Amino acid sequence: MDKKTVTTISYLSRLKIDDEKEEKIINDLGNIIEFVDQLNDVDTSEIDPLANPLEKTAKTRKDIVTAKNLKKKLLEVAPSANEDYFLVPRVVE
Amino acid sequence: MSWETVIGLEIHVQLSTKSKLFSGGSTEFGAKSNTHVDLIDMGLPGVLPVANREAFYKAIRFGLATGANINQTSSFDRKNYFYPDLPKGYQITQMTQPIVEKGSIKITVDDYEKEINITRAHLEEDAGKSIHDMFEGETGVDLNRAGTPLLEIVSEPEISSAKEAVAYFKAIRQLVTFLDICDGNMAQGSMRCDVNVSIKKSGDKELGTRAELKNINSFKFIEKAINFEIDRQIRLIENGECVVQETRLYDSEKNETRSMRSKEEANDYRYFPCPDLLPVIISDKELKEIKENLPELPEEKEIKYINEIGLDESEAKIISSSKTMANMFEAASSKTNDAKLVAKWLVGDISALLNKDNIDIDESNLSAENFGILIERISDGTISGKIAKSVLEEVWETASNVDEIIQSKGLVQIQDESILKDIAKKVVESNPDQVSAYKAGKDKLFGFFVGQIMKETQGKANPKAVNEILKDLLK
Repeated sequence: MDKKTVTTISYLSRLKIDDEKEEKIINDLGNIIEFVDQLNDVDTSEIDPLANPLEKTAKTRKDIVTAKNLKKKLLEVAPSANEDYFLVPRVVE
Repeated sequence: MSWETVIGLEIHVQLSTKSKLFSGGSTEFGAKSNTHVDLIDMGLPGVLPVANREAFYKAIRFGLATGANINQTSSFDRKNYFYPDLPKGYQITQMTQPIVEKGSIKITVDDYEKEINITRAHLEEDAGKSIHDMFEGETGVDLNRAGTPLLEIVSEPEISSAKEAVAYFKAIRQLVTFLDICDGNMAQGSMRCDVNVSIKKSGDKELGTRAELKNINSFKFIEKAINFEIDRQIRLIENGECVVQETRLYDSEKNETRSMRSKEEANDYRYFPCPDLLPVIISDKELKEIKENLPELPEEKEIKYINEIGLDESEAKIISSSKTMANMFEAASSKTNDAKLVAKWLVGDISALLNKDNIDIDESNLSAENFGILIERISDGTISGKIAKSVLEEVWETASNVDEIIQSKGLVQIQDESILKDIAKKVVESNPDQVSAYKAGKDKLFGFFVGQIMKETQGKANPKAVNEILKDLLK
């Protein structure tokens, strides 16, 4: 784990890391990765990848519309909205 | 130097389910903003997505129709990225176990046919819509579309020209509309496509660096965008520069593609299995049922029209090429005994009107019922083909009933021989010069007499009867 990796993943997850904490986070993340990396010692070449640890299959829905119009309530709890849209800082392509 | 073009398409097909892929929110198009948003579509904490089985069924129909493998166990993954119209911060998609793999579809370009392999087709949810130009310094977000089921169809990079790309897109559109899994409406964004374009020296095995053109939604723009991009890449390489792997946006107004740097920076989606969703298993019984209920496809219809109804090959091809056309043909044919005449009118006058107005037949004023009546009136001799044309034009404008138009305008064909004979006699008597010329061997003048009688009767004379009577009179 190095500074560059931490900068990249903090950008990808839109998390701001204070400069004074950076050293500690690099260290902590390094330790976590090292701990989890122990799993790589297990030989899994004969085992299929697992999509979910529960040995069950999904319950599914019939194609029926059940939702109500929640527009007013949803827009009310948004950090910023007008009467029709959620509003966010301008995104320009 | 000669160059080869290598193109692969990713087509997003909006599946025509009533509700969304993971929630009971409605997928209806054109609703007021943010009125079809469920808590699950919003990605609020504590909600759990539940997959819509119908979306799987529709995807499977596509798989079966393209001879693909159906993965009866398929699972969902998360594709992580941040954008305001993606409320959860990830899109649920199928990365490792897509529902459909390894199919193919036949395309026709000018004078040749080609088989294009389909790598995979997987289910995923659509994002919402961002509105950039309505608010000062802010972007508005409408989440109605968020969670709508998409089938992403990925082709192998086997397409070698803009023309082939268009033909492939058209073939996919034809198929999904016949399968009734998508309405195929391009203007409403029911089908959108991303195009990967690269070039290589003729004969080279290795592929060149590709550029991805995003979100093109019309046949015309696919062709233009690809052709622009091919030229751009050739120019770069011939000037000793390199093609950069990047996402480019096609600007239809300027007819150019340009780099979308914002997307380039973070092309790391960190896929992982979605812990909220268990694998979905489709039983053998379900698969068998879908197979048995697969609708008739264009090729099957074409063969049926030729062998069972006796249409010409070209007529059969035109009619079976569009679902709305085939539906109209079958519905109108069932109302008359003369399917061939139905076909003749569909391919002729009606196609011409459709082209003129640039619409689909289901958008026109002509109903199958009314069309069937029109054909009946032609075959039972009530009106002539010529009058039928003007009746059709009237229906086209006003959607009025064919019989009512015939009655109210007095268009019923004159069949009564004694009336026709009287008119014919008058015409012959008042044109003595033409009569002697005809008798002297100028056979072409026969048409002149027919024309005069038609003029007298405002086109209502039965042409067959007129021919007989004239032949008799001019002997």
